[in-house]
Amino acid sequence: MYPQPIERLVTELAKLPGIGRQTAQRLAFHVLRSEDADALALADAVREVKEKVGLCEACFNLAEGPRCVVCEDRRRDRSLICVVEQPADVIPIERTHEYRGLYHVLGGALSPIDGIDPEDLRIAELVDRVGADEVTEVVLATNPTTTGEATAHHVAELLRGRVTITRLASGLPVGADLEHADEVTLGRAFAGRQSVG
Amino acid sequence: MVVESVAVLDLRNLAACEVELGPGLNLLWGPNGAGKTNLLEAAYMALAGRSCRTRDDREAIAFGKPLARAEAVVAASGQRRSFLCSVSRSEGRRHLLDGSAASPESAALRPALAVFMPDRLALIKGPPAGRRSHLDGFCAALWPGRTETKRRYSRALAQRNALVGRIRAGAADPASLDTWDHELATAGVELIADRREAAELLAPAFEQVASDLGLAADASLRYRPRSTAADPASLAAELAERRDADLARGHTGWGPHLDELLLEAGGRSLRRYGSQGQQRAALLALLFAERRALLADGRPAPLMLLDDVASELDSEHRSLLVEHLVEGGGQALITATEPEQLPRSAQRHEVAIRAGRPLTAADRGRIRGGEAAA
Repeated sequence: MYPQPIERLVTELAKLPGIGRQTAQRLAFHVLRSEDADALALADAVREVKEKVGLCEACFNLAEGPRCVVCEDRRRDRSLICVVEQPADVIPIERTHEYRGLYHVLGGALSPIDGIDPEDLRIAELVDRVGADEVTEVVLATNPTTTGEATAHHVAELLRGRVTITRLASGLPVGADLEHADEVTLGRAFAGRQSVG
Repeated sequence: MVVESVAVLDLRNLAACEVELGPGLNLLWGPNGAGKTNLLEAAYMALAGRSCRTRDDREAIAFGKPLARAEAVVAASGQRRSFLCSVSRSEGRRHLLDGSAASPESAALRPALAVFMPDRLALIKGPPAGRRSHLDGFCAALWPGRTETKRRYSRALAQRNALVGRIRAGAADPASLDTWDHELATAGVELIADRREAAELLAPAFEQVASDLGLAADASLRYRPRSTAADPASLAAELAERRDADLARGHTGWGPHLDELLLEAGGRSLRRYGSQGQQRAALLALLFAERRALLADGRPAPLMLLDDVASELDSEHRSLLVEHLVEGGGQALITATEPEQLPRSAQRHEVAIRAGRPLTAADRGRIRGGEAAA
């Protein structure tokens, strides 16, 4: 229907998550209409991200070079490792500026339904790191979902007795009204209540 | 919380009509085939967003019509809300609260629903799965914060079964079952505890109501879990013991997903040995026991939708039935072929139905010739 190069662009765009064929066509024609410099800047950005960004060889976070910025940073506390599912999970924790340790990105969570076994995650690498470095505490920050909890349990079992293992607490969002909390979150918050007096 | 009216369009034999309801007992009466049960179904559909009689909601659409609609107006603390369910042959089902799509949370804005219909007898005489999910539904009504337990258990079970399949196919390591045994056991122990607590709340009321309705005096309700494990570690150990059998079978053969809510009379299972009459009485007793447990906890009484309950009860038991219905307030819709089938009670609103058209007492006085306003 379209000239072959446009058809190719539409097909490639439609592979992106959340983009259907209709939207892909709209985007393709937008690219076609835009200035040469703008369109080529997009192509360049895609090429650059694929060429320059890889995974950190120590923690498997996103990295420009062999090590990520966190692992390169000499001021970080090397006795602490925070275990997360995806590189995207590092960003919200970094935004808090509360955590000064290192990370370990597993690359997913255990899910037999999706065919994800322990060997498919970077669990063995985590065990090696704990054995080799001066690590004293591992913080499990996998998602509070069935697969995330199972992954946390699996990792905790492997590391039991070697280091202190902690799990992030779950409860109420700070600054939000109690009346807007859902029953499940509120129920968890009750179960995990703490003494203040 | 009161359902003030139910409006219907082209639902089975009901054309366009609206019925006003009283705050207490509502008697829908008329000859066989008049559309009494269809009106109960309409009330259920409007509030719950699906039919209580069929899985294929399109069955509820009147012959030759494109869509069926049921709307209920619920008044609570000075506010009126409209619950509307429509089923279209071409576009399927929609459930709206005040014109926008109803969410699971909107269930809190309407009364809970308790349905007695011949189709519902499967709950008593069918396999345990129906009773389990009914008990889980009751747990969810009692403790909305614990609904996640059941979901978490189901997800862990699906993952464990998938893993069992992968191990059988040689694609995964049997040792990886440890993780999922733990996850399943953690949620499983909580689920067993919730169900046990709910069954203990229901048992005394079930025995009382069952005896009042003429079911055996020694009727009983109890939760019978497979596992007696008190903590996740023991349930996980029980799962580990049965691992070889699970691998041979291809799925998980131990845990609360196989438990039974046992209903008995005279020490014998009502499911297997109960007569039709006993099974009907047991279903009623279960619904009333839940109603009592909710009331005792300070919750609003559920809306009782009772189809043809009076026909098999003698006059003494009918009086007791009405007493139970009036106790604690709340609304009920009951169908009968004759108004005399139900003993008079203080608060009673009658709706006569003829050939798919309801006539309220007021309508009959107001409209000449007995034709109801559409």
